[in-house]
Amino acid sequence: MITIIGGGPAGLAAALAAGESGSKVLLIDSAPRLGGQYWRHLPENGAWGKQEAIRHDFEKGNQLRQRVAQSVNIEVLSNAHVWRASPHDEHITLHLLVGGVGRTIDVKNLILSTGAYDRSLPFPGWDIPGVMTPGGAQGLLKGNYVLPGKRIVVAGTGPFLLPVAAGLAEAGAEIVALLDANRLTRWIPKFHIVLANRAKLREGLGYFQTLAKYKIRQQRGSAVIQANAGSDGTLESVTIATIGRNFRAKAQEIIKCDSLAVGWGFTADLSLASNLNLKQDVLEEDKSVFVTVDEMQRTSMQNVFAAGEITGIGGHQLSLTEGKIAGFAAAAQFGHLTDVELKGKLEPLLAQRKKERKFASALISSYPVKPGWQEWLAPDTCICRCEEVTMEQIQDSITELGATDARTVKLFTRTGMGMCQGRICGRAVIDIVGRESGINPTIQDYISASSRPIVTPLPLGILEHAPHIE
Amino acid sequence: MKKLTFFFDGIEVSAIPGQSIGAALLESGTKVLRSTRIENKPRGMFCGIGVCFDCLVVINGVPNQRACLTEVAEAIQVINQQGSGAYPIEGAS
Repeated sequence: MITIIGGGPAGLAAALAAGESGSKVLLIDSAPRLGGQYWRHLPENGAWGKQEAIRHDFEKGNQLRQRVAQSVNIEVLSNAHVWRASPHDEHITLHLLVGGVGRTIDVKNLILSTGAYDRSLPFPGWDIPGVMTPGGAQGLLKGNYVLPGKRIVVAGTGPFLLPVAAGLAEAGAEIVALLDANRLTRWIPKFHIVLANRAKLREGLGYFQTLAKYKIRQQRGSAVIQANAGSDGTLESVTIATIGRNFRAKAQEIIKCDSLAVGWGFTADLSLASNLNLKQDVLEEDKSVFVTVDEMQRTSMQNVFAAGEITGIGGHQLSLTEGKIAGFAAAAQFGHLTDVELKGKLEPLLAQRKKERKFASALISSYPVKPGWQEWLAPDTCICRCEEVTMEQIQDSITELGATDARTVKLFTRTGMGMCQGRICGRAVIDIVGRESGINPTIQDYISASSRPIVTPLPLGILEHAPHIE
Repeated sequence: MKKLTFFFDGIEVSAIPGQSIGAALLESGTKVLRSTRIENKPRGMFCGIGVCFDCLVVINGVPNQRACLTEVAEAIQVINQQGSGAYPIEGAS
């Protein structure tokens, strides 16, 4: 039996590769319906008049889900939150919360495909209702047929802003502006990589066409540096600024809007990988953390594979490719594929992965997050949303109490100690402390930010009855 | 499309089966889902995918439920969470 955690593109591809090779598969997913964030959907998605807004690649997701449903080898456990993975000598114990009920499963072979979430940067007013992540805004559309607002600003950086803005526009929202902090000129030295990934190029051009069709104001080298609330406490306008290459704000302007979707790329969800002490590393370019894998997607732990965003942010195509490789490699371990069969299956996939990783790496260098964003912060800007810790409190813990690393700041101020366990502010706090203290964060600082012995908040009764948590 | 009804702070809200509580509320014009423990500030949906825990509401008397993850169900009583939600409003079953 091969257990897969996470039913997004990577997990679906892994389940099908392993299951259709003859291995028994248990696919565990926290959502009610498979597909991950990328293929989030309502139970019946026929009777909506704005289907074109969410059609992008949706058919592919439907096909994969159908194949999973038809496979006699794949068992699906939905609505199941793995809140802890405990490593033992011969097996791993997964602690789950399934529909509010505690349960454990011992597994020997695991594929982790836990995905990613939007990376956020704190800025004045980012806690005002009406400010969301782009993933959240798109999730409202894909998974709910709901728009986050009527007049929307989309901002931050990265290629993901394009489908978000295009989809919201097609669904009937007014996109007041699309702002990317980075300029497209960063692509010029990498254009040969774009040409080698023509499907991506076509996809991108399609979004630009939609943006042009709706006459959406696009501005590159600009950012939202402040969100402003109206008398009812919800978002009324945003302050935007042209910014330099280092993100320092220059000329400013106020734009009226009732919704802001702002994000800065993605952060891998490494909580379970950390539970298992899987070897992780930090990408030099953007200091993002990822699980280290070999050619076959094997992690540092025997019989544990990783695929998709947790091995490095790269989008759904790369996730599908990595999922397939992990699924076939895991199936081969059980003798469900001969060496020759495995080699035949892997050959095109490895070439594909190489090409897609190159593209992912070009994306990362084309949409950097530069340290000037910290100058947008005011002393009373909320940094840790859960524990309501301000910039000033963090600065005080450094200047008055002598903290020189994010962990010490956490102990003094409670940053990252709230219900999200530092998922939202953790990385930003590391960067802030590095800059304010003048001491560069270590690789370990970045890696340990996703160390969460218990991955999701639990009722105490569940913990009380959980056996052998190690 | 099939519809169902639930309640937010006692007021009827219409939703499509499968929608999250947060999404259905947004559709009905409700952006503020809770107020914070320390500064009593309004908060709403932020990450939308269960990561940030900012959209916490009280559902049928149980506090700290994520409005973005919890799907709507017929006749559930949802209320705006004040602070930690430890003392839900009386009568919210």
